[in-house]
Amino acid sequence: MNRSRFLSAVPVGVALAVALALPAFCSDYMVRLLSTAAIASIAVLGLNLVFGYAGLISLGQAAFIGIGAYTVAVLTTQAGWSPWLASAAGVALCGAFAYVVGIVLLRLKGHYLALATLGLNVSFGIVVSNWTSLTGGTDGIASIPSLTLGSFALDTDARLYLFATVVLVALCALTQAVRTSHLGRSMIAVNDDEMAAGMSGIAVTRAKAAAFAIGGAFAGVAGCLFAVHNRFVSPDDFSYVQSILYLSMLVVGGAGSIVGAVIGAVGVTLLPELLRGAGNAYLLIFGVLVLVVLIVLPDGLVSLARLPVFRRRQRSPRLDPIAEEK
Amino acid sequence: MQQLLQLVVNGVALGSVYALAALGFVIVYSATGVVNFAAGQFVMLGTFFGVAAIVQAHFPIALGYLAAVIGMALFGVLFFLGVHLPLRKRPVVSVIIGTVAIGIVMQNAALLIWGPWPARLPSPFGDSAISIAGAAISMHALATIVITALLIAALYALLYRTGIGRSMRAIAQDSEAARLIGLPVTLTLIVTWVLAAGCSAFAGLLVGPMWFADVNMGEPVALKAFAATVIGGFGSVQGAILGGLFVGLVEILGASYLTSTYKDLLAFGVMIAFLLVRPQGIFGERIGDRG
Repeated sequence: MNRSRFLSAVPVGVALAVALALPAFCSDYMVRLLSTAAIASIAVLGLNLVFGYAGLISLGQAAFIGIGAYTVAVLTTQAGWSPWLASAAGVALCGAFAYVVGIVLLRLKGHYLALATLGLNVSFGIVVSNWTSLTGGTDGIASIPSLTLGSFALDTDARLYLFATVVLVALCALTQAVRTSHLGRSMIAVNDDEMAAGMSGIAVTRAKAAAFAIGGAFAGVAGCLFAVHNRFVSPDDFSYVQSILYLSMLVVGGAGSIVGAVIGAVGVTLLPELLRGAGNAYLLIFGVLVLVVLIVLPDGLVSLARLPVFRRRQRSPRLDPIAEEK
Repeated sequence: MQQLLQLVVNGVALGSVYALAALGFVIVYSATGVVNFAAGQFVMLGTFFGVAAIVQAHFPIALGYLAAVIGMALFGVLFFLGVHLPLRKRPVVSVIIGTVAIGIVMQNAALLIWGPWPARLPSPFGDSAISIAGAAISMHALATIVITALLIAALYALLYRTGIGRSMRAIAQDSEAARLIGLPVTLTLIVTWVLAAGCSAFAGLLVGPMWFADVNMGEPVALKAFAATVIGGFGSVQGAILGGLFVGLVEILGASYLTSTYKDLLAFGVMIAFLLVRPQGIFGERIGDRG
């Protein structure tokens, strides 16, 4: 391990130690919020593969999370599956569905892809709200069982938080492995210049579809954790507004950076607590803060620290293929 | 038959509102490249400027409409300075998230100012209806269609018969070249935002009496305007109009004849189908990489 790698590992290790020790010092409510932040981090980490690496703007992440969460909810409460088995099915289903979406929407880019995935998320919300026999409609599905490890039930906020944090760390490591693999480099190459990447023999389709599939599977993990954490799912938790929020977490934290994804997810999840004094003006201040970060720190909060980790490549500001073609 | 006529008029009226909202979105997109995700909140603000002028300040309706449109025009200038300029050279995702963020700000500012209770914006034509071939047709619906048609005619005259319209179209084609040949780019961009805000103001004023004025009304309008834009073709004025009418008709006719629970799914289903099969929409240009 060279010096810079080592220096960058120190703050990560410290952050991890603090994260694991936190439940001992926090109120139950705060621990619950931290679990929510860890679950959001997993979802944003998935989005980081899709957008941060492959450059595909997806506003459908909440729908994938919803598919994972509803799979667990339906299979455990209606078919009596064990939560573990149901979670495995949820993650697999999400990955497969995201792969199909990735293949089908392959030709779309930029705001076209953003609107297509947004439409997908809106459609998901409408279907889930109205398919009452399966999903319980707007009443949602309650009393989802919690996960158990042997006789040890992950049924308190602190236990679930620790489990979610371990999963998050594992997925961070997995993301890093993908990032440094041939597949991860292909995704970034496709993001930088799709035509050049294709010309130099990179399987563009494969890279894009894989980004969607892995990102969707991550969302599935987040959805399963959401279901066993909240013990209740309803359509509002997976609306397109949530998808926009996940993408803003990633952009605010720093797209293309694992640390940025986690910082953005945790920061945006905890922000309401910090702004509690603002009362009803909270969302107004939130919007202004996001806009300020976008304007002042286009590479996200992570660029503040100039962490030497996986820095996002510069893209040309506004691609204008029409002008280029002429 | 009477019912069909009534539904078609209502569908075209609602579609006119969506078309105006989509026009606000498309005018900005073609001239500036900004994908304005706050477009729905523009419409909401238009409605509430109307509520402020007509319901709260007791202006006569015509004067209230004028005040609301002028208010929105000023807001357009403000938006240009506060959002467009700082984000103009940023990647598309920053523009999306930035306009979403400013949309959240607008929605919650409206919530703080006007409160969560829906207000009633009166129509200049009251609740009157006329009878055509046995069908009761709301005057407001008819007036919405006529006003929208007049606005679209005015917009075409502006775009194709005036200097500023020519320079808008030039900038939409190539803003660098437009600047090189000495067109007033900044002024034109301001005019673009003012026009977009004006279209949204009318969309808001006309939809107000159909629905209740509610601070959450922006999102459904925005989603329909996006669907209309994609179906009609990104960056195409006639596409926005046709797409808006289509989405309005599908919503009203679909709810009556097919399914009211899944009425919104119809519009988005068509939108996704268009994205898959013909991403440039009905009137869109060849978009190569973009599609």
